[in-house]
Amino acid sequence: MSDSTMLDVSLHERRRARRMEDPAYRLAYERAAREIAQTDAVIRDLDSLRVDLGISKAELARRVNRNASSIRRLFTARRVHPELPLIAALADALGAELRVVRLPLDADSPIADNTQRRRAAVTP
Amino acid sequence: MPSKEPGDDVATDRDSGRLLPWDVVYFKTLDGRVPALEFLDACPGKIDAEFAAVLDAVAATPPPRFSGGGKWEAMHDAMGGWYEIRLTGRGREQFRLFCLLENATPGELARRGLERPAIAVINGMCKPWRTTFAERDYRRVRELGDEHKRSYPRRIAT
Repeated sequence: MSDSTMLDVSLHERRRARRMEDPAYRLAYERAAREIAQTDAVIRDLDSLRVDLGISKAELARRVNRNASSIRRLFTARRVHPELPLIAALADALGAELRVVRLPLDADSPIADNTQRRRAAVTP
Repeated sequence: MPSKEPGDDVATDRDSGRLLPWDVVYFKTLDGRVPALEFLDACPGKIDAEFAAVLDAVAATPPPRFSGGGKWEAMHDAMGGWYEIRLTGRGREQFRLFCLLENATPGELARRGLERPAIAVINGMCKPWRTTFAERDYRRVRELGDEHKRSYPRRIAT
């Protein structure tokens, strides 16, 4: 199939761009994106650390008293809303810990006037 | 468990060792309706924005890697092969967006009219907290998905 017969898949981006003109929408999108990025980063960091240490998912599951399938599902987004106690236990089992890191305030940040951004990080 | 299509689950984006972002497309019915966009347009703005943020995160780092902040979930049993985005709104109202993955060999993707893998957003539903969708609701979602998968090239909103 030539490029000319490929479908136009730009609607999602065009719709997002149009909706972002609404400040309330933009605020909600950016806040959600930050939260998602933090969660994703923590889970991926844990998985990378596990790989670096040469620990299988099954072994990690044993270390935190979970079954292997639940840990496998966690690392492949097949389980929603990972619980903080489990995340903390996984970090501990990998010789790491979770921390909340205060970020420098960005004057343009919509939250700069009422709270400071905080981010959880996995620190070996 | 729904049957797989030719070329499904072939990680074309990883063949080269690179993780390429996916597209996001919206299924359009034969009569021109776009159920997912009708649903999103009717959602509170904050929920609409959150759905977009999850879709963008998953499209940027597609399955099987963890993505979507824990709000993107593979479904099971009769909904096997489907993914849903799960959000909670005011009064704990539950919002769900149902998606299929368009991941296949380059040839099969081209047959579907797609240049690269994509998340196909099919439909959405909402319900009060601590209630469940009826099986007929899920069946309707699956019927829309079947209609989508029967279309070559895919019929999507543009």
